[in-house]
Parts: sequence; structure tokens; C-alpha cells
Amino acid sequence: MKPGRYMGQSVPRLEDAKLLTGRALFVDDVQLPGMLHAAFLRSDDAHGILRSIDASAARERAGVVAVYTAQDLGDYWRPGPLLVPPPPITGLVFNAATQVPLARDKVRHGGEALAMVVAESRYIAEDALEDIVVELEPLAAVTDLEAALRPGASLVHEQFGTNLAAHVHQSKGDYAGARAAAALVVARRFRYDRGASAAIENRGIVAEWDARAEQLTVWDTTQAPIPIRNGLAAMLGLGESQVRVIAPFIGGGFGPKIMMFYPEEVLLPWAAMRLGRPLKWIEDRRENFYATTQERLQIHDAELAVAQDGRILGVKDTFLHDTGAYDPYGLTVPINSQCTLLGPYVVPNYDSEFTAVFTNTPIVTPVRGAGRQHGVFVMERLLDFAARELGIDRVEIRRRNLIPPDAFPYDHEILFQDFRPLVYDSGNYPAALHKAVEMIGYEAFIRSEQPRLRRAGRRAGIGVVSYIEGTGIGPYEGARVTVEPSGLVRVATGVGTQGQGHFTTFAQLVAEQLGVEVDRVRVVTGDTREFHWGTGTFASRGAVVAGNACHAAALKVRDKIIALAARLLEAEPGQVVVEGGSACVRGAPDRSFTLGELARRANPLRGAVTPGTEPGLEATAYFGPDRGNAASGVHAMIVEVDPDTAAVEIKRYVVVHDCGVVINPVVVEAQVQGGVAHGIGNAFYEQLIFDDNGQLMNASFMDYLLPTALDVPTVEMAHLETPSPLNPLGTKGVGEAGAIPTGALFAQAVEDALSGTGVEITEIPLSPNRLFELITQAKGAAA
Amino acid sequence: MKPPAFEYFRPASVLEALDLLAARPGAKPLAGGQSLIPAMNFRLAAPEALVDLNGIAALSGITRLPDGGLRLGAMTRHHAVETSPLVAAHAPLLAETMPFVAHPQIRNRGTVGGSLAHADPAAELPAVMLALEAVLVLTSRTGERRLPAAGFFTGLFATALAPGELLTAIELPARAAATGSAFIEQARRHGDYALVGVAATVTLAGSGECDAARVTLFSVGEGPVLAERVAVALEGLRPDAGVVEAAAHAVQGDIDPPSDIHAGAAYRRQLARVLTGRALERAFQRARAHQSNPEQ
Amino acid sequence: MIVEGTYTFPGPREVVFRLLLDPDVLAKTMPGATSIARVNEDRYEGKMGVGIGPITAAEFDVVITMTEKVVPESYQMQIDGRGRFGFTRGKASVRLTADGESTVMHYEADMMVGGKIAAVGQRLLDSVSRMMLKQGLEAMSAELDRRLGKEPA
Repeated sequence: MKPGRYMGQSVPRLEDAKLLTGRALFVDDVQLPGMLHAAFLRSDDAHGILRSIDASAARERAGVVAVYTAQDLGDYWRPGPLLVPPPPITGLVFNAATQVPLARDKVRHGGEALAMVVAESRYIAEDALEDIVVELEPLAAVTDLEAALRPGASLVHEQFGTNLAAHVHQSKGDYAGARAAAALVVARRFRYDRGASAAIENRGIVAEWDARAEQLTVWDTTQAPIPIRNGLAAMLGLGESQVRVIAPFIGGGFGPKIMMFYPEEVLLPWAAMRLGRPLKWIEDRRENFYATTQERLQIHDAELAVAQDGRILGVKDTFLHDTGAYDPYGLTVPINSQCTLLGPYVVPNYDSEFTAVFTNTPIVTPVRGAGRQHGVFVMERLLDFAARELGIDRVEIRRRNLIPPDAFPYDHEILFQDFRPLVYDSGNYPAALHKAVEMIGYEAFIRSEQPRLRRAGRRAGIGVVSYIEGTGIGPYEGARVTVEPSGLVRVATGVGTQGQGHFTTFAQLVAEQLGVEVDRVRVVTGDTREFHWGTGTFASRGAVVAGNACHAAALKVRDKIIALAARLLEAEPGQVVVEGGSACVRGAPDRSFTLGELARRANPLRGAVTPGTEPGLEATAYFGPDRGNAASGVHAMIVEVDPDTAAVEIKRYVVVHDCGVVINPVVVEAQVQGGVAHGIGNAFYEQLIFDDNGQLMNASFMDYLLPTALDVPTVEMAHLETPSPLNPLGTKGVGEAGAIPTGALFAQAVEDALSGTGVEITEIPLSPNRLFELITQAKGAAA
Repeated sequence: MKPPAFEYFRPASVLEALDLLAARPGAKPLAGGQSLIPAMNFRLAAPEALVDLNGIAALSGITRLPDGGLRLGAMTRHHAVETSPLVAAHAPLLAETMPFVAHPQIRNRGTVGGSLAHADPAAELPAVMLALEAVLVLTSRTGERRLPAAGFFTGLFATALAPGELLTAIELPARAAATGSAFIEQARRHGDYALVGVAATVTLAGSGECDAARVTLFSVGEGPVLAERVAVALEGLRPDAGVVEAAAHAVQGDIDPPSDIHAGAAYRRQLARVLTGRALERAFQRARAHQSNPEQ
Repeated sequence: MIVEGTYTFPGPREVVFRLLLDPDVLAKTMPGATSIARVNEDRYEGKMGVGIGPITAAEFDVVITMTEKVVPESYQMQIDGRGRFGFTRGKASVRLTADGESTVMHYEADMMVGGKIAAVGQRLLDSVSRMMLKQGLEAMSAELDRRLGKEPA
């Protein structure tokens, strides 16, 4: 798609006035008469056998309406669905164990829900939690991935006889041969630790059963309202049309809000139906650290075989992936790691295997980046080490290995998370690298700025890394576009929205085709009464999949407008121009109808209807891509490190980004800026610290450190557009991009600042305390 | 994160507050609530009653004492201290510290007295008061007593406040001639609990030697720590680079820092040394400036 | 969390050993202990209320089991405390060596802390455990002084 009146323009976000003035509805804003409140008793222990739960005192407490344990759920108690079955890879092993609504015989991670209290207020419900007596026999907890796999380790799921959750091997070419021919092999162990998604809005659910209408309405902070509706209907024995799920405005999703079903999602609607009163649960911040899914501990043993000139001959990677206590999301995260490692590079020989491991920690599902970080970290670090040993500049070694612009579609010959071959659709990686290097002033920094600062006793460093983000995967999304008699255009789509700017970008796409002002287009997302086909917002796919569906529906409506106007105006369809909120005959602007008038005429109260026509100016369309597409980018950063205090300061941050055709640059830039903030958090601040017993040591924002506006620089950004041939708009996804390469970039830049000290960084996150240890170790080794 | 039920009182005078506290041993005075309320929401604190001091106007305000010192009402908000011209002119160390006390939102509500009575080992103000040799005024139904900061902080979150006693004011002595001070802390993010912080005041003799040094550290022990060995390493000596470095090294003998997930004891020791050196350098520079221009 | 160290008691080993296992002494010297009873030779049960600063003292049910007792040299303790704020569990080993008129206690404990206190109190765990240990040992030492004054060795 070429830029147009709206396409490619930085239209200010239409939803912001509502959001900024407090008029947007969030789940916790839902207040219903007679509403009850739920609170959950959660396990202090990470692993143990549940002997008994005595809730009798809680039930006696004034204001308590009900207390439910697993025993009280009867047949309704059942493990959740396996959301993503394993892909068809030969030799793959996968042990499926999905989460349960309330722990019944065993507790498998700290914070696992044991009982639900329903009371007249949340205060009373929390008072009652303290009345419940739990008898639990502690078991040794497994948190260390290697120890978990040793014989005799305590088992998270006894039925498998092992803590192995999965084993997958993918390869291409002949790595052993490549290794034998290599001028240099660099091998390291890498560790990338776990963080929380930490959306500003925690999860929340309100459920209301209208017994007369036999209608269940659920407000849910989910990223996937339609699958939640369908699943709830099945679980509760209701027709799908009897259940309405509304995902209103949501304060950030980042992946964990697409997990389903969370225990609370299963229990609240059920209890609301039984009790005949609306019921609310809002997750508090402490609960969020246990009850909402997380990512991303992996340990990689990887090696890179290169020729003397730095050309990549092959990569071998063996890694462990922490899947937490259950694995409902299948292998999405580790397969993303496996695929994303290859990045924008030509890697002729690749041998990658991973083992996913059950541990007594909260469940792991995709969080923004979804495993891609790890792959990028491993590959980029290996390239840095190889460059250093070969005496090749860091940028140059990347340049020599990039997939050339004329090589697309480029097939990496392995399978991606969408079960489709990992084939890149389009890109121009050398151009992106060139642009980023130019923007950050790489040459000048290396040649003059860095040495000048060094002479003044200051240690500054620079980093440049490349990455690919597989985005915009299927299966499909849909949209319905309606021109109303008022002339307003209504767009309904099934994806939920968590701040991405859907209300603006989807409106732009439709306004572009219907020739109306963008603020005359009203977008509705995430309400199953409005639209009930689709999957959800995840995998950086909103603009690609739902965006193309909106575009396709708008084109259909445009055709209807033209056909009707041509008939009414007695003109050839080719003569009809749709613009300015009207349809008119080319060259005769007085022969026109407003879209509102056409909408009225398309829905007459009297008179004969031409056979074969549909009433109204409305159309529904669907879009499902053949496979995911490859967004890409280059990040560059300058840091300064104080080696005496291990303090790190980011001086500049540059992103050159290619998400195909850009619908709205401001929205894309905001996504990238937010992603970078997330990435900086990952790289330097955020780490969930579990002790050997599976106890989380920092379950509050006092100790779990999110970067604030003071810690995140304003990103200098440039867009590069290589349109995707896989969809009519030519768009690729952008939601996760900013967060993906930051860890690798941070490591490279900090290491560069400390060059000469012997400090080598192979782990993320890198707290000042850890950096201090590394500096101290390097000093010791040098001494 | 909802607190258990509690009774709430809002007295209008110190006397009324003291009566309420005396009548209810399970009651807690509520100042700015920036530590107590989160603890209650976590259900770690469950006082039977709160005696809210925010309605007692007499407890707020900053005034100049006849001897040139300053008097801070215990309920004076951090923000008021931060923006006070009196504090800027007569207690520059305190003025320099205030922006490091948490975040603006917290400083708008939190109070000086609340922070001191809370005695968090990672808090800035106890260490600064110790460096400034502040005198704390404690009021009970039987009268008033005045304690130097050194006698007020008795351990981890522990103070000399007796049951039924309220911290009502803080008095800062007048600043001596040829005195300079500096405050430095390192935190993970601005506004976080410091990993280590240092407050230093130094006074120069006419001949340029260090006449007196008072260096305090926080987040390195059970409470604010007065670095006596650092002072000994400075007093009577010309504070050149070597002397300052040696003094900074001496801090190791003054502290026994704890470990936590953000900083191990070894890292805290390193920070204590480096930050002590930097704080001293800056304080001596300022003392020299003060010496040559006492109006400064 | 590993806690280890040594402490010198100004008294003979036999007396110190007896003192360390005396439930009445433990009730007096363990910080926050409100009751300790010896339910059998090697098992003690009691209640402790630990409150620090703004943290309201929460009651912990504590069970201590002694094993591998070698009078008057050494013993192991299994400690299990549970309360509303979470729990603490662990093992400690105590070894006493005579040093002239004094007794040197070597202790090593591997304690785990769980639940709310671990989740939101990590910043203070090290300081609090050090403080409680110090208070306990000093109280024990004072008790020893008192006993020795009463019943000369």
C-alpha cells in the first residue's frame, strides 16, 4: 500500500482523549448492583502434597458468602486446555501438563491457588483468607534446570517420571563438517533469566449471570475474548451465543493475558451462576507475581564456527528452557528461540536442540519477544566474540554475513512456531545496518570519541545488533465494516486491544478506502457480541492479520457504495468517486450522495428490492496469511560505565526498524519505544529471583525493578519499509520488536566500555551487583 | 492487598494525640503513611488503631532558632523541606539530600518526623540527621525530652521513642564556619532505596587542615552508621587526595553491611569506599569555598 | 540462607550445653518467644512473635527437633516455624568446644524463608536474622552469667 490521505500518516491516536481523561472503561470500572468480591488463597510453598484445607472458620465469618476448594468444584474441576500442540517435528518429545483451577492433591508452584473466597467486599474476603487452615507436606522444590533433569530429582509431575517437558531437535546442513572446516570456533554458555510482564493493569474479571435472559456476561482483561467465550460456553454447558465476553480497555497485555484459561477465568463465571450475583476479582500486584504467567529462563551452550574472514559456517546450540510448573502454551517460546537465533544471517549449517524443563515456578508462556530475545542474544554475542578473536570490526562481521537483499524469499529450512517453514518474505538488512551505523556515528565514536573519553578516565562503549522478528502469523482474523445512516462508519473486529492504537490504525485503513474523515470511523474491539470470529492479539499480528481484514472489509463496502451510487446516479461504476464522505460522479460533484444517505437508501422501508442485493452498506471480511512474515531491525546504543561503582548510563539509543508498510508512524514509534523500555528492563533491571526452594524473593515493585521514564532514553528512530508480499497492505508486525535485541545490545555496549578489563558478558539481566562481580573476577584473573 | 479493619482517630492537638495513644497501646501514629500504609495493605502491619497526626497544624513548619539553627516540625512534608529557602541557606546538606528521598509523589505526602521515627536502615534522613548532629524533641504526657540523633537510633527500625511518646520536632544546630557538606547515594533507579549512601560534613581549620569530619552512611547496617574511623583518618590532616583516599578506605572498619538481592556485602563495601571518597572530596571543596566566602 | 559463625560463652561446656537445651532458657532468650515447651526428650514446641519496626508481631508456631545429640559436644536442630506471614524451615548444627574457662559455640544454619516475608521482606532478611541471632546469643550469655553466679561450677 502506498501512502495516502491516512495510510502512512501520523494520525493522532483517536482513543487517547478517552484514556487520558479517565473515561475509558477498564474491568475494575465495572460496578454492578449486588456485586460480590472474590479473593484467592495461594500457596506459600512451591512444592508439596496437599493434605487438607479447612475452610470452616472462613465460612462462618460475617460477610462471607462462599468458600470453594478443589473438592467443592466436583466435575467442574479439570485441567485447562493445551493451547498450542507441539509442531510436527520428527523425534519430538512433549509431555503435556496443563494448569488446574485450584490445586487438589499437590501444589506445584508458589502462589498456586488453593481456595476461592466470595464475600460482600474484598476486605472481608481477604480477612477470611486468614481463617483458612492448610495442611501441606512440603516436598523439595526444583528450580535449577540442570538439577531438575538429574536422576532422583524431585518431580513436578510424577506421571512422567521425569521433569523433562519436551525435547526438540532441528537442524540443517552438516554442522560437524562445518566445524571441521572452521578457522575458529567460539563456544560459550549463555544464561537469560526470567522476568514478569508487569502490565500496568493486572488481570481482572467480572462475571454476571442474568437468569431471566439466560445470558452470561464476562468482562475480562484477556487478549483473546473470542476463544474465552467459546471455551466458557463449553465448560459451563451454555450455547456460545449465551456467553458474551467483553475485553474492554486493557492496560497492557504483553502476552500473559492471552494465556487461557487462568483459574480465575474458569471459577468466577461458574460461581456467579451458582450464587446468582455478579462477582468481581481484581488481581493485586502481589498475586500478579505468581498467578500471571512469566518468561524467560534459558541456558544455552552454543558455538559458532566461522571462516577466517568471519563468514559463518555453522552454529550449534543446545539449550534448556524453563517452562515452569505447567506447559499449556506448548513449545512456542523455545521454538521462537530456536528460529530467531538465525537472525538476518546466512547460516548454512545449523544444529539446534532444546530440552524444556518443568520447575516449581509459575507457568511460562510468551511475554513480549516470546523467546526471540534468547536466540538474538546467543547469536549476537557469538558474533562479537568471533569478531574480537579474528580482529574483525563488530559491524563488519555482521555485514559480511547478512542475507543479501536479492535472496528473498529466503528459506532457513527449519520449522517456525506457526508450524510453517521458516521463510523470510522480504527485507533489506544491509541497508538497515548501514543506516543505524550512520545514525549513531559508529565510525567517529570508535575512532575519536571513545579514545578521547578514555583518556579523560571515562569508559564509554558502543553496541550494534541486528535481529529478525517473525510476526503476523495466522490463522485468521475478521472485521465487519458498516456505514450507518448518520454517515458514521463502524468497524468491529475480534482482536482485543491493550493499548496498541487499534482504534486509530484500523480507522485509518477504513477511512482510506471509504473516503471519510478518520474520526468518523468508530472501531469496536474485543466484544464478542459485536464480532465473534477470531483468535486474539498476540505474536505481533494485529496490524497484519486484523488490519488486512479491516482493509478487505472496507474494500467490499466501497464496492457496495460504488454499485449503489452508480445505480442511483445513473453512472458507470468506474465513474463514481468516493471521497469527502460522499460518492459522486467524476467531474460532476453535484451528482452525489452522502454515505449516510446511501446507507439509508440501501435499507429501504418500502418498495421492491433488486434480487441478489444485500441490505445496508456493510461487509465482513477475513484475512489469514499463508505464513508469518519477517520484520527486522538494527539497534545501536552508546553507554557509559563507571567501573568503580558498576553504574551504567545509556547515552544514546538508535533503532532502525522495518515492519513493512507503516500504517501510522507515530503508533509504530510508540510501540518500538515501549518495546525498548521493556528490553532495557530485561537487560538491566528486571529479574524474578527464586531461591532454591522456589520462593520468589522480589514479589513487589519495591524489589522487582521496572525501568521508569528516568531510566529509558528517547529512542532515535528511522523506518525502513520493505513491503511484505504476504498480505495486501504489505505490513509486518511491530509489537514485540523493540524488546528483542536489547539484551544483546546492552551486553555488547557495556563490554565495549569495559574493553581491556577482561570482562565478558554472557548473561542477562546484568545488575550493577553482577557487573561488579564480573569486574572483580576479571581483576582477579588478571592479577 | 486490603488492610484488616482498624479504628481511626484524627486529633487536633499533640495533647489529644498523646491521650489517644496512651489509651490504646495497639495504636500507631500515622504521619505521611508512606511506609505504614503499604505495610498494612500487605497485612504485615495490623495496628488496632491509627492516630492520624495530619490534623495537628502545630507539628508542621520550619523556623529559624535564635542560635542560628533550624527547627523542623515533625510533620513537615519532605517537599516543604526540599523547597525551603531556610533549609537551603542553613542546612545545605539536608537540601542536597531531599531530592533523593523516594519520588515526588512520596515527598508530597511523607514527613521528616515519620521517616526518622520509622528508622529504616536504608533511609536518607536518619543518616543526614546523624551527620548534622540534629537534636530530636520527644513529647509525652509528662513532658518533653531532647535526644541527639546519635542516641535516637537504636537499631533496625528501632528508636528511643518510648510507648506513648511522639517525635514532635527536629532541631538542627547552626552551621559552623568553614564547613562543607555533601550527599551521595547510589540506587538502582532514582528514588529507590539506596544500595549505599553517604552524608558528610567537614570543617576546616584556618590553616586548611581538617578540623572536624562527620561522615555517616546508610543501607550498610542496622541503622545510620557514624563512620568514626573515617573521621579519625582526617582530623588534623590536610585533606589532599591521598588523605581522602585513605579516609575512604578506613570506612571498611566502620561498617558491616548486609547482603540482599540488589547488592552483596562486597559490593556494598566497594560502594561505601568509593562514595565516601567522592563525598569527602566534594565536601572539602565546599568547605574551602565556605571558608573563603562565609556567605556562601 | 546460610547463617554461620562462632560465639564465645564465658562458662564451661557442660553448663552451656545444658543451657542451650533448657526449654525455660530458650523461652527466655529466643527473641520474641512467648512459650517453649519440651514435649519429649528431643522435641520442643512453642510460639514466637516476631515484630520489626512497622511489622506487627505475627505469631509463629515453632517446632524444634534435636537430633544427633552428643553431650556436651554437638547437636543438630530441625526448625520449623509457621505463621500468617509465611514460614521458616531449616537445619542448624551446633558444636561446642572448650576454650579454657570458656566455651566456643560454632553454629551453622541453612534456613529457608517462605511466603510473604520472603516475597516482600527480602531487603531485611539478612539484617533481621543477624539481629535476632545476636539478641538470642547475648540473652543466652546473660542467662549463663546469672546461672554461674547462682551455681558456681
